[in-house]
Amino acid sequence: MFSSLPASFRKHGLKADVRTLLILRKAMQKGLVKTLGDLHNTLKGIVVKEPEDIGPFTKAYYEYFLAVPIAPGQTLEDAILRSETFQQWKTKYVDEADIEVDLTEEDLVNTFLDQVHLTSYDIKEVVNGKEIWDKDDPDLEDKDGQETDGQPAERVLDKMADYSDLSLEELLERMEKVRDQQRSNHSGGSHWIGTGGISPYGHGGAAKNGLRVGGQGGGRMARKVIGDKNYFPVDRDALLNDNNVDAALASIKGVIEESAIEKLDIPHTIKSGLKRGGLFLPELTSEKFEELKIIVLIDNGGYSMAPYIRSVQQLFRKMKTRFAHDLEVYYFHNTIYDRVWIDERRSTYISIDKLLMHNKDYRVFFIGDSAMAPYELSPLSIRNIQAITKKFKKTVWLNPEPLKYWPGTYTIQVMKELVPMFPLTPHGIERAVREMNSRHVQR
Amino acid sequence: MAETKHWTGSEKYLCDPDLAQAFHMARTLGMPLLIEGEPGTGKTELPIHYARDRGLDLEVYPVGSKSNVEQFVARFDHVKYLRDSQIEILNAQREEKGLESRLSTGNRNPESLIDYVVKGPAAIAYSKPNSVLLIDEIDKAPREFPNDLLYALSHRKFIMPESGEVIEVSEEDMPAIVITSNREQELPTAFKGRCIYHYIDFPEKDVMGKIVEKHHPDLDEKVVKVALDVFYHLRRLGLERSPTTREVLNWLKYMSDKSPKEAIEKIQGLEGVGALIKTQADMERVNRLIGAGDNLGTYLN
Repeated sequence: MFSSLPASFRKHGLKADVRTLLILRKAMQKGLVKTLGDLHNTLKGIVVKEPEDIGPFTKAYYEYFLAVPIAPGQTLEDAILRSETFQQWKTKYVDEADIEVDLTEEDLVNTFLDQVHLTSYDIKEVVNGKEIWDKDDPDLEDKDGQETDGQPAERVLDKMADYSDLSLEELLERMEKVRDQQRSNHSGGSHWIGTGGISPYGHGGAAKNGLRVGGQGGGRMARKVIGDKNYFPVDRDALLNDNNVDAALASIKGVIEESAIEKLDIPHTIKSGLKRGGLFLPELTSEKFEELKIIVLIDNGGYSMAPYIRSVQQLFRKMKTRFAHDLEVYYFHNTIYDRVWIDERRSTYISIDKLLMHNKDYRVFFIGDSAMAPYELSPLSIRNIQAITKKFKKTVWLNPEPLKYWPGTYTIQVMKELVPMFPLTPHGIERAVREMNSRHVQR
Repeated sequence: MAETKHWTGSEKYLCDPDLAQAFHMARTLGMPLLIEGEPGTGKTELPIHYARDRGLDLEVYPVGSKSNVEQFVARFDHVKYLRDSQIEILNAQREEKGLESRLSTGNRNPESLIDYVVKGPAAIAYSKPNSVLLIDEIDKAPREFPNDLLYALSHRKFIMPESGEVIEVSEEDMPAIVITSNREQELPTAFKGRCIYHYIDFPEKDVMGKIVEKHHPDLDEKVVKVALDVFYHLRRLGLERSPTTREVLNWLKYMSDKSPKEAIEKIQGLEGVGALIKTQADMERVNRLIGAGDNLGTYLN
């Protein structure tokens, strides 16, 4: 069932796999999925794992289940209006309406969204056509328009898909069939929305009945999500720039290592035990270190690095103001020989020996493109870099050079062997931090 | 049978329909519900109000930087055990010397290991069907904690240390587990995979009006409107730290004992805005952009 779902959702950068399907199946068995809107919400709860997933999820969902592709930058309305699904739905909707339909495109899209996102939670009761008619009576409008109990006014939809009589197998079969048809038959019409989807006419006897629903109309959220950058991820693999510096900051937060290990305090136990005349009770101390000590070594020589320096500095400055921990910045040119500079202009320096005198708990970030003439990477330089990685176990190199150029640069290849190297992207930083945390400093 | 009826909020708590659905789904599937969202959007309130409304037992585990799975499930109190067993010896020695006074072990018997198992909120919740378990602010935990939880969450079974007592719960009786996080650190993917996820969206103005009404039903409508205008205006300024629901509620609490007219003046004069703005930089920015003390009204229209 839905065997192509994980692959299709993964294309949108979402995490979907067999487990997704298993949970979805379980949800169906438990009767959580009765309408298309239920399917949307259930799947959302399973697939979405962070707010940035909501945008891609909405997109993936519309594409996979409704055959409404949403192009980048397109609004949901626009995508719907342009889709074949909507056209077919509209024809059908207009056909089936007993009275003359005089609706604007906007109204139609709203109705479409209402139907697509109708969840079984919204349904208050199934009413017959007569009641709907009464509800629409203008004289009653004022009374019905009143909001009761803080709930939004009730809306009336004249149709929905009632899947509740269908067995799970039937439902799955139908969904899969509709999907196949949509894929293979471009002109053939969207049966999903036509008969298999929203409309109850293909099944059961609820045909001329309507539904009284409450709730807020699920389409609202979908509409909000599309085009809102808060719900679409900043490209996690784009190079660090002013826009995604916050994303990087979020991942670098991981360097704060906290531990909560209770240890037996042997000296204290002995001392207090002796005082008690040999009654030794274990005395525990809790050890907690929340230290974040960082050395940043920035390559600020050469033109290749120039575009990145500002954002790198911004990143660490933000970090410093936010976390107020030790942060030391030094500069070098291309590679490290016997010294690193304290200021950007490289006028004052400290020797490598002095750098190595820092506590071994420091985390070291190299930031540079590591592109240089091969002879520059001299044995002295290599020795010093090795000394740094040996002393500071948590050392990584962040490289702004796009990953695809790495294999072509000899010095990058060499440096990569010396220091674990990651691209200077929010995602790369995240991986670098994880790598750092996996190594523990021996105490 | 587990409590799986759809719950849409109570008198005091306005539950967003999407959240209500996610919560219902999590309970029906017997999976934990992971709620994220801006601070002060009522993440922690959900299970508390749910438990109160339905009259269920609530176990809370506030996560801190020192949390570990032992505290959460159960631990064996070695210190007490050792102390008590030494006391036995000590008492025997005293008796030998003919001393009357004895040291007490407080009704614990070193023979019975079960006396020394200190049960954590998880073990307690799992031993009571239909309870509610809140794991608050899991992002504050050490990195290993969520991973350690994985086993517990997926096996519905705990084995008590040393005593070997087994606490098991059927899928039907699973407690409703709610986990909250402020996203201060990323949670492991495997962990998230075992939860139903819901991100609480910041409420729109009309919803916020209803939330305020639930908390301060006596407040004048106009006061609320003016306050919310100011509040959403402040949120749009792009401050370092946007004011939250909790804070606007506090602000209005401060205004609640004043006459509506006075309150509106005070709100427009940004009096007590310290309830909303919490950093020096933001305060300066607000002063610069709006000018606290001036009549704010002109800026809002």
